[in-house]
Amino acid sequence: MVSNLASGASNGCREVCFAAGLYDLDAIKRAAYRFSDRVRVEIEPTETVVICRLHPLMAVSEADHLAIVSDFSIEVLDQDLRRTIAAETESVRNLILSIAFSKTGFGQ
Amino acid sequence: MLTLRNQGLRTLNTGAAGSPAVLRLSDDPQRPPVLRKSEGYISRGGPMPPGFAWYLLTDGEASDVPNDAPAIFLPPSYEYLRSGDVVRIAPARGAFSVLYRREARHNSFLLTERCNHYCLMCSQPPRNVNDNWIVDTLLEAIPLIDPDTVEIGFTGGEPTLLGERFLQLVRQCKSYLPNTALHILSNGRAFVNPQFAEQLAQIDHHDLMVGIPIYSDLSEVHDYVVQADGAFDETLRGILNLKRFNQRVEIRVVIHKQTYQRLPDLARFIARNLTFVDQVVLMGLEMTGFTKANLNDLWIDPLAYQPQLLDATRILADNRVKVSIYNHQLCITDRALWSYAKRSISDWKNEYMPECEGCSVRAECGGFFSSAKLRYSDHIKAIVIP
Amino acid sequence: MSKFHPLSAYENSASYKLLPFRFTALDEDRYVLTNMAGEYALLPRQDLYDFVRHRIEPGSTAFRTLKSRHFLMDDDSNVAIDLLSLKTRTKFERLSNFTGLHLFVVTLRCEHSCPYCQVSRQNIEHSEFDMSPETAERALDLVFRSPSPAIKIEFQGGEPLLNFPLIRHIVERATELNKVHNRDLGFVIATNLALVTDEILDFCRAQSIAISTSLDGPADLHNKNRPRPGGDSHQRAIAGIDRVRQALGRDQISAIMTTTTASLKRPREIIDEYVAHDFRGIFLRPLSPYGFAMKTKWYAAYKTPMWLDFYFDGLDYIIELNKAGVPFSEYYASVILTKMLTPFQPGYVDLSSPAGIGIGALVYNYDGDVYASDESRMLAEMGDKSFRLGNVHKDSYEDIILSPALLDPLEASFAASAPMCSTCAFEPYCGAEPVFHHATQGDPVGRKPISDFCNRNMAIFRGLITRMEADAETRHLFARWANR
Repeated sequence: MVSNLASGASNGCREVCFAAGLYDLDAIKRAAYRFSDRVRVEIEPTETVVICRLHPLMAVSEADHLAIVSDFSIEVLDQDLRRTIAAETESVRNLILSIAFSKTGFGQ
Repeated sequence: MLTLRNQGLRTLNTGAAGSPAVLRLSDDPQRPPVLRKSEGYISRGGPMPPGFAWYLLTDGEASDVPNDAPAIFLPPSYEYLRSGDVVRIAPARGAFSVLYRREARHNSFLLTERCNHYCLMCSQPPRNVNDNWIVDTLLEAIPLIDPDTVEIGFTGGEPTLLGERFLQLVRQCKSYLPNTALHILSNGRAFVNPQFAEQLAQIDHHDLMVGIPIYSDLSEVHDYVVQADGAFDETLRGILNLKRFNQRVEIRVVIHKQTYQRLPDLARFIARNLTFVDQVVLMGLEMTGFTKANLNDLWIDPLAYQPQLLDATRILADNRVKVSIYNHQLCITDRALWSYAKRSISDWKNEYMPECEGCSVRAECGGFFSSAKLRYSDHIKAIVIP
Repeated sequence: MSKFHPLSAYENSASYKLLPFRFTALDEDRYVLTNMAGEYALLPRQDLYDFVRHRIEPGSTAFRTLKSRHFLMDDDSNVAIDLLSLKTRTKFERLSNFTGLHLFVVTLRCEHSCPYCQVSRQNIEHSEFDMSPETAERALDLVFRSPSPAIKIEFQGGEPLLNFPLIRHIVERATELNKVHNRDLGFVIATNLALVTDEILDFCRAQSIAISTSLDGPADLHNKNRPRPGGDSHQRAIAGIDRVRQALGRDQISAIMTTTTASLKRPREIIDEYVAHDFRGIFLRPLSPYGFAMKTKWYAAYKTPMWLDFYFDGLDYIIELNKAGVPFSEYYASVILTKMLTPFQPGYVDLSSPAGIGIGALVYNYDGDVYASDESRMLAEMGDKSFRLGNVHKDSYEDIILSPALLDPLEASFAASAPMCSTCAFEPYCGAEPVFHHATQGDPVGRKPISDFCNRNMAIFRGLITRMEADAETRHLFARWANR
């Protein structure tokens, strides 16, 4: 579950929270990395939620800032989905690579 | 449409020659005697030169066959026989069949009627019989075929079901017909066994191509069309093995109601996964065999699928895959595809319809199979170029 | 008939397994999915999620597309494994050929003074900036140590024709050595053509040497970019092109353009110039951040969005030309389209992962220093020798090829394991660019969100896919380019 808390405008930061345990911290970090051209993301895990504070790297309008926050949330979900795919396809991926690079070519 | 076989024909003097004979024919009264001993003479009236193994007489002809040699009476439908043709005579049943015609543009040999598929549109419905005698006949016939023959074909049923005997036939062709191309129609599944593919490769035939049908990019549709579960996977694996051993492979696709919609997807699939194939042929439906029984599920007017055919052909051409279109009449083929359309119907099978009267491109167009009289496009129209 | 079974009897698609794939947003609504072999499919976001959650319907259009393109496998068929393995192998096969392109910098001297030049310009008289025959000999020994069945030797500079005697010597010597090595050996001279003579052309014709020259656009643009005493660079270039065509054959000359701020507003005119002079295509290049460009105002003026407008305006114009019956290609798009639409790897050095440094190309500088790529040399001219691999007079082939200066950035920059790249749907189409990222960010991997290389290429991938999906004729055109 994602909830947007509009934080005080004092430091131009917006907060997004992700339910702890539901979204892998790795997914959140990867999303933060991807957005590192637009925002600096402070990640604070707590017992119940992971708080992400998004600090824009340059001056942006309110609308743009909200858009970045929304996109960031979607990106976290997408990163999470990627982990699901990777986990589910790991063994067939290794199989395909092992056949592809085997010396004898193609077994039955 | 030529008659190629008969049973119950009248024979003479066959007491001593009860077993079937495979013979090359001659109509030359000056034929060197040493060759006559193993050949059949085509009699067209007049005195018969002695020394031939068999005499082929026309009905009503006088039957003074030299030296009481065996003879068979043939109806007028066999007037087309010429020197160099190869026939089989089974005296016990008065059976006569033409195996090879030297003047034909293409000669195909059916190796077996057995098959592990049951295609909805099969033009040679399978029979589960012991027809090993066919291989024996062909092994005898191959050395009699004119070595200048450009190309022969192996078909069936499924030729590879013959296993080692199939390989034997290929070897025979290599030995006796070193200048003749060999085109084999097969579903390719036997080559899922890499040893079998390797054995074929080891024969090192000088000019061999295996023509293998794929009807869809989706396994379930292909398996449905050929009525065999697991066919798609085995066929593709067979193709990969044939290519591992550098054999030439042609992909054949028959276009009908079950295959036309995904034809562009199949083209894309071939271009991406089977880019190494030597050619692709896109074929019109023949109205024989099982097609008649499944007509409702198969028939679509060829004019209706021209958009898919055009897209598929362009996709293959864009990807530099050689593509040909067989068995399509020019008037219902998109003009952009005419350069791909080949006159593919064997000269003894093709005919034209009343609508073709006066057509300027008749010579370029292959016309129809005679079986097409059952059903053909509603849009056949003579193309008149003033 | 009862002996025939219906389609439903053959549909065993109750459940399906995911095959390995990556996804990245294409636009507001759609995602691009790519499989291990770089085949793509588009899905709206909700369908993507349904797909991963095993909720799409067998028999639906999405299911059939994903099955056909090897994104999923159902109980009915698993030959996808064999085919994906074969396609993956095909994509990597070229790597074992190793270095095919060998660049010889025969001199740094040049009589032009182009502001964007990435090579030190030296006065035309200074022959100590010429490569010596001894250096050339050592370099040729290294060239033939490469196992590549096809070897292309490209002469560069400065202006290489200023040291034509050495070019002649290298060609003759390489040809002699090749009698033993038996490779498919080819030569190219990259020249501004101002100094071409009949003697030079006779030699090129006899040895089947191809020419690569600069043509930046119409005369005013070309001359502004490429100042020369006399201000007649364009005129000489055109005269040179005609002369080369007559002497060597129409297709023995290719042209490259360099993009500057002045070019950015005029893509159509530049393309028209190429069409007018009978070229079959153009490479719409970005401005690279090396050499004198950094020292001048050129690079500061250059921004990715402006360049992308330039690129797509040019590309769309080229598509129009093709629809009007003028066959003309854009070569960068063609390289990418080969990766997108065919099972093959184009082997283009600047868009490869693992990177093309060393593996695709090696540069032998006039002084015997060996560099991992052309850009590596340009970086050195700016004072940064990070990608210098050794010297032909001091180091063996093994020292050079196994140098950490080469192996470390190759490994670090490998896209399939780089942050963001490893999960990017466009990775099969992209490349690793260690030298660019080192020059602009200080490390060979770079942080991709702020990488011009990444941003530029992602925009191009999206632009190509969007155009193909929107128009069937463009799709066919792009497939032809991909299979050139």
